[in-house]
Amino acid sequence: MLKNLNSKHIQRFSYKYLPQFPISPNSPKLGFSRSQIANYRSNFPTTIMSSSKTIVLRSSDGETFEVDEAVAVESQTIKHMIEDGCADTSIPLPNVTSKILSKVIEYCKKHVETPNADEKVAEEDLKSFDADFVKVDQSTLFDLILAANYLNIKSLLDLTCQTVADMIKGKTPEEIRKTFNIKNDFTPEEEEEVRRENAWAFE
Amino acid sequence: MHIKLVIVPFWVECKDNIQHNTTQRNTTLSYQIHTINQIPPSSHLFTTTMSSLLPDLTTRIHPEPPCILSPEPQQLDRFDSLPDSLLLLIFNNLADVKALGRCSSVSRRFHSLVPQVQNVVVRVDCVISDDDPSSSSNSSDKSRSISTLFRNLIGGIFKPIQALGQFLGPKRSSPPSTAATSPLSSPSTSSLSVGSVDGDDLEQGGGVTHHSPTQVLKNFNEIRFLKIELPSGELGLEDDVLLRWRADFGSTLDNCVMLGASSVVYPDKAASNLSNCDVIGGNDDNGSIPESFYTNGGLKLRVVWTISSLIAASARHYLLQPIIAEHKTLDSLVLTDADGQGVLCMNREQLEELRVKPLSASSASKRTLVPALNMRLWYAPHLELPDGTVLKGATLVATRPSDQSVQREVSDGLWVSSAFEEPFGTAAKMLVKRRTYCLEMNSF
Repeated sequence: MLKNLNSKHIQRFSYKYLPQFPISPNSPKLGFSRSQIANYRSNFPTTIMSSSKTIVLRSSDGETFEVDEAVAVESQTIKHMIEDGCADTSIPLPNVTSKILSKVIEYCKKHVETPNADEKVAEEDLKSFDADFVKVDQSTLFDLILAANYLNIKSLLDLTCQTVADMIKGKTPEEIRKTFNIKNDFTPEEEEEVRRENAWAFE
Repeated sequence: MHIKLVIVPFWVECKDNIQHNTTQRNTTLSYQIHTINQIPPSSHLFTTTMSSLLPDLTTRIHPEPPCILSPEPQQLDRFDSLPDSLLLLIFNNLADVKALGRCSSVSRRFHSLVPQVQNVVVRVDCVISDDDPSSSSNSSDKSRSISTLFRNLIGGIFKPIQALGQFLGPKRSSPPSTAATSPLSSPSTSSLSVGSVDGDDLEQGGGVTHHSPTQVLKNFNEIRFLKIELPSGELGLEDDVLLRWRADFGSTLDNCVMLGASSVVYPDKAASNLSNCDVIGGNDDNGSIPESFYTNGGLKLRVVWTISSLIAASARHYLLQPIIAEHKTLDSLVLTDADGQGVLCMNREQLEELRVKPLSASSASKRTLVPALNMRLWYAPHLELPDGTVLKGATLVATRPSDQSVQREVSDGLWVSSAFEEPFGTAAKMLVKRRTYCLEMNSF
């Protein structure tokens, strides 16, 4: 029996039992939607995730952070760097310290993980995350503003600027100066003129 | 050597503050320093020499020489690290005009940046009615005019039309005793006022000072998005009645949509689970208006609603003219009220149109002339929304000037149904599907 088997037989045998793929235009198409693919991938966390690209970010004090590409491209600056091909080894971020960079990465991760707020629960969860995220001291908050501006992350920039705006709202000028240690550089005459100009704001 | 370097700058600076002749002390000092160098450095010696010298100097110099201490981190001005563009972003998020005015008085840098803010929201505190002159000559007229305001607000559906004429008339200038405060705009312009309403203040300056939005906005040069919020809707209605309008104006009325209902029942949380979609189509036949509608005053009521909304909209439009003329950089202007009753919008093309072709005022009242209109009306005696809200006698009216091309009506359906916020957007969408009735109205 074995002697009679030659390559031709084997080929024919294997060919005959292959599923036929009709190529005609009217044949049913085989395709998957994005959500189906994501669903499929989520069943294989270890194997599939490891094949997605990671980016290494280096802070100003030399510390490195490895993040998924999807998280890193929340920052338009990093996204452009990757597209321009500057991201071979690691991306240096000389304007961002490691403390701030770790916070920024935490923010981006959370916003990438949460799908586009379709359900109310996800939206509220994100809102409470945002509210807790900005409960930091002033110097960290301002550093986050500068980092979000440098890294060009619009949602983080809006969030932090809105927080500072809320800190300013409702305060008198003296209180604003006190809160932020702003020096009053008006001369007494100038100050009086400015107050008169803006008298409607003080009533 | 190291110790010497540390000490010398300290003493040299303080020398400037010392008024007495200290040369002798300094030579003594240098002697002291020399001795330190020759002796093996020991901290004990160092502290004793320092401590023996310190008491002398502290009596003579300012207790806190500013040169010595570098600013501790918590005393730094954080805004110094932000460039102007980021500070402007913060101000744009702040938006509220009073808060911006206060910021303007904080420091020179803020003062120079506030006029460049592009996104401003003005919250008007009160609307002044032009009462008879006798009541306003009194410096305590504030409380009186408020009560007149309230009297006009509470009333049947027909009163509001009269009240509107009073509300939106020329602004009464404040009594002469308040001349010391900022000057007010001319009487022919707005009758809105920004500034606190303080009826209790009956001191020499009179009750309140009024500042119109026009004046307040003079401080801003580059506004692009302006939103003005009135304290309440102009139309006084009974509790249950729902009335919402949205108007777009160019130099004259472009279109206006009004949604009204004679009663609204909002769902409570428990009942919302019971909502079902098939009730919508349910008992209502072909969407036509029942005969009783014409006889029981239902149609008349709705026409009155429509006219009131149009009057309110045209009056608001008239008030905005000086602001629009002054701010050429405006991209969008929205005049709304705290109740959400009416929204007047103007986009860039419409604003340009108004600057180029000034509006025509209606005679004898401070409002824009409303042109001849084509109206389309949809009615449902009982409308149930998917979230459980029930509207009785729901009406949707869309008006458009008759001289505009008929072609635009095709895209109207979409525009009409997106004019209102939820839940009334859904109501509008449902009403549009019913039978359309057309009416015409003359200009007024």
